[in-house]
Amino acid sequence: MRYYAIIFGVALGSLFIKSIFLCGFSSHRLPSWITENLDLIPPAVLAGLVAPALVYAKTPEGLEVYLPKILAGAGAFWIALRGKNVLYTILAGMILLGIFSRFPG
Amino acid sequence: MNVPSTRQPIHVTLPKKPKARAFRRGAKSVLPILLGVFPFSLVLGFAMKETGLSPLQTVSFAASVLAGTAQLATVQLYAEAAPGILIVLTALTINLRYAMYGLSMEPLVREKSILTRIFYAYIMSDQSYAFTMAEAEEHPSEQHITWFFLGASLVLYFFWQTGIGLGYVLGSVIPSWLPLDFTIPLVFMSLLVPHLKGSKRQFAAGTAALASLVLVPLLPLQSGLLASILIGMGSGILYEKHTKASKKEQKESKS
Repeated sequence: MRYYAIIFGVALGSLFIKSIFLCGFSSHRLPSWITENLDLIPPAVLAGLVAPALVYAKTPEGLEVYLPKILAGAGAFWIALRGKNVLYTILAGMILLGIFSRFPG
Repeated sequence: MNVPSTRQPIHVTLPKKPKARAFRRGAKSVLPILLGVFPFSLVLGFAMKETGLSPLQTVSFAASVLAGTAQLATVQLYAEAAPGILIVLTALTINLRYAMYGLSMEPLVREKSILTRIFYAYIMSDQSYAFTMAEAEEHPSEQHITWFFLGASLVLYFFWQTGIGLGYVLGSVIPSWLPLDFTIPLVFMSLLVPHLKGSKRQFAAGTAALASLVLVPLLPLQSGLLASILIGMGSGILYEKHTKASKKEQKESKS
């Protein structure tokens, strides 16, 4: 029962968060400094999600800087900026991480 | 002779159905990132099995919410026997970004009913949101952007749920040396690049990235991510104000 209570909380809370603004008040009523800067949401959110995942590795002690991920991430980012194909970015990142994580230290 | 004559109209009439066309474009747009999303859902399904969840528990969690990172965090914390309130709060904090997604997508769905919007909210994912916003910016005249969103969302939804199921059933087949969890930041990275047009957005993204590197390990309950997002957006706004002001000054000093 404890499990289902947790799931219920997560599901209902998430749906509320996801729909509150999508259903809620019209953005006409929002102050203009918000509506004019909505385009900053995707870059800020995505950059905040990406950066830690490319720099840290999860260890039992917590997050630790992990050089192979940084190098592979930098390589993949270079590809992403150049070519538009998402596939190449993912493949490059995976292959580079495979290579770099083989180096000792 | 019947066969070609029944087939032909399909190809001819499709371009005349703008909704179906938008739906298909949306569905097609997300195909390349399935390579990154699908492994993540496999990992999630595998993690659910490892945690000892029953098939019914797995299915009910998968069906009740669509939010990859929060789902994985929930399963991990549940496995560590964390307090229920803490698990729910963590998952919801991770999902707070969706409130901001909703805020920026609202103008696109303004004509839809509340029930439809709640359904959109349910199937919205990072990827379908990012692709839809990029499409809306590239083709502002697109009348059926919600059909594009539906196409992208439903394809992702289908593969996401299939991946969880496969991961649960076949999890142990995945070789452990494959760094599957690394595909997720790579997917987010390729979603980020189209949104880096203009120095204001670049500045916001750069600040958010730097802030997240400092704050995510420091702040509890995954609140570092939310703080970094707000810092990034705030700095983008200040950056624009500053450049506007300095341009004004330049103009005034010239005249």
